[in-house]
Amino acid sequence: MVESAVRTSADWLRYITSLPGVPGQEDAVARELMKAFGTVADKVERDRMGSVYGWIHGVGKAPRPRALLAAHMDKIGFLVRAIEPGGYLRVTEVGGFDSRTLPGKEVMIHSRPPMVAVFATRPPHLQKKGEADRPIQLEDLYLDTGRGEGEVRRKVPVGTMVTLRQSPVQLLGDRLAAPGMDDRAGVVVLLRTLELLRSKRPSWDVVAVATVEEEFGVVCLGARTAAENLCPDLGIAIDVSHGDMPGARDGDTVPLGSGPALSIGGNIHPAILEALKASAKALSMPYRVEPCPTGSGTDAMDIQISSSGVPTAVVGIPCRYMHTGVETVEPRDVDRCAYLLAHYLSELSLEWRSVEVLK
Amino acid sequence: MSANGAPKFREDILEAISNAPGVSGGEEAIRNILAEYARDKVDSLEVDPMGSLVARIDPTPARRKAGGRNGGRRGPHVMLCAHMDEVGIMVTAVEKEGRLRFRRVGGIDPRILPGQVFRVGAGGLRGVVGALPPHLTPRNERDRVTPADDLYLDIGARSREEAEERVPVGTYAVFDTTYEAWGTTRKGKAFDDRAGCAVLASLIQRRPPVPVTAVWSVQEEVGLRGATAAARRVQPDVAIVLEGTASGEAPGAPPDEQSPFMGKGPALTVHDRTLMVHARLLSRIEEMAKRHKVPTQWKRPGVGGTDAGRIAISGAGVPSAVVSVVCRYIHAPAAYLDVRDAQRTVTLIWHTLETLRKEWP
Repeated sequence: MVESAVRTSADWLRYITSLPGVPGQEDAVARELMKAFGTVADKVERDRMGSVYGWIHGVGKAPRPRALLAAHMDKIGFLVRAIEPGGYLRVTEVGGFDSRTLPGKEVMIHSRPPMVAVFATRPPHLQKKGEADRPIQLEDLYLDTGRGEGEVRRKVPVGTMVTLRQSPVQLLGDRLAAPGMDDRAGVVVLLRTLELLRSKRPSWDVVAVATVEEEFGVVCLGARTAAENLCPDLGIAIDVSHGDMPGARDGDTVPLGSGPALSIGGNIHPAILEALKASAKALSMPYRVEPCPTGSGTDAMDIQISSSGVPTAVVGIPCRYMHTGVETVEPRDVDRCAYLLAHYLSELSLEWRSVEVLK
Repeated sequence: MSANGAPKFREDILEAISNAPGVSGGEEAIRNILAEYARDKVDSLEVDPMGSLVARIDPTPARRKAGGRNGGRRGPHVMLCAHMDEVGIMVTAVEKEGRLRFRRVGGIDPRILPGQVFRVGAGGLRGVVGALPPHLTPRNERDRVTPADDLYLDIGARSREEAEERVPVGTYAVFDTTYEAWGTTRKGKAFDDRAGCAVLASLIQRRPPVPVTAVWSVQEEVGLRGATAAARRVQPDVAIVLEGTASGEAPGAPPDEQSPFMGKGPALTVHDRTLMVHARLLSRIEEMAKRHKVPTQWKRPGVGGTDAGRIAISGAGVPSAVVSVVCRYIHAPAAYLDVRDAQRTVTLIWHTLETLRKEWP
């Protein structure tokens, strides 16, 4: 593994997005992240639910307040649901795909040893009339490993993790497309922020948490449990925000390359948002305000209501084509999010509290 | 897999031409690779006016002499044909924001396009077909297939100028798929018809028993065009078209719709939408399969069409047949074939040439 100092955000993105890890099966990615966090943090630990913590010790007088940064390490994928005669595999999804983006795509089946497979398609020559006018639902899709049924049954138990297999695609303007930018790009922001805070010591303690099971959908489990463990005085989730795309309404997206997207709404503590904006201005950094009228849909939702309530904010990385195999971000935006967070956190005074005492 | 006295199937050729781009009308890269493999093995090598690669190769002098005892008989002039082109897309417009609009070239199911990665042009440029995230997609939209004309390619450009400079209108793009091997399975793009191209290139590595003109044709996927012209030029006595054809295998499909099967030998065509296979030629091929223990199967009759349909009606007519390597998922980003089927096809065609030398018609 290369020393972190020579790794750019693009290097980190290529590496971190390549790691598997659907909700509930984050072990392999967690092991790699512990190594990665080890290159930038003062202390690395893993909690009982599997989330990985990277600590930066503050320079303020103990007991110091504590800031929690959260980005989820799980990414959407599939689990093997059934094996059909002929060795074809049916899958169920963990996290929400649009099944219309799946036919013809390659996947990795994380059996031992791993196997390549494709979502099978019927060639136009053999299709019935009108067949191509109807989308294929996930329950009708199947995977073909190109291997015999016996081998598949021996090596691929039901429940085996399956992920889209797409190595990172380099686009113009340094842009990078890969499955799992949601939210491995956020994990890279954590790594870069810790790296910056190492030299720019904050007075607060900062704990960057790569959380588990954000995409499972019931609860942002890793964020909720980490927040209960750490009782932070402040929490910020780093996640992807919808990038500008044809077909999306104005207000639902932020342009790629426009800097951090700072959420606004009930999930966001106004004082943190104002301070983040002030940091962006101090750094002469572009940013956008992203309206989240009914919640941010990130780890911050669960951090906010943990313990006796935590002031939270969300820093978003603009990302096109979310929940497809070509989630696209601009590494420059990742850098900016890290610089913004490092600036904000190192400016935090020991006296800052969100509780207002009115009388 | 033993070649059974026939030339060996050259997997290195298949790998090279499967990975290279060659959409109908833009076959140069494929042609250049095949020309290198053919150059030292053939008596003449030409690129015809449409871009098809045409190689003429005669039997060895010893064979010609042996034929001489037989009343100067050299055997029929056989045209072996496989098409170089693959299905893909062409960039048709560059939009204000630097996005590229495209049209399909050849039969591509629009449902495989969203989220697909393409290799654009001859350089290493990549583009992705964008798709709206499920979070932003209205429920009723998800019941609808997005028409290909509404899709676009994102190369990361920020402006029309930047995009136009890198990708002029008319640039082709192919699926970004890399050839891979496991067991006897091979995965790659464009096996329709790079499988046939590689079988043909393998065959001409050795001097054939009869005069052969090998044609790697262009523009099959847009109307069997290259072979139509090439056949007039070559004027063969017999033609055999080498194809990568579609398997019907799928879980739960009725048995009669599953055939042909990957791994069960070359598929022989009886008829398709373009051709009634010459009965006598077909029975000679079957006979050779039996004699040399090459397993064969029938391609599902009545579907698809190949260059043979045009070659057969060329000039005064050419007795024609089609022999195919069975592939799963043709016209999609990643197809599969069984490499044993490719060798079996080489073996079967070689022995067919042998028998044609002895007797034809």
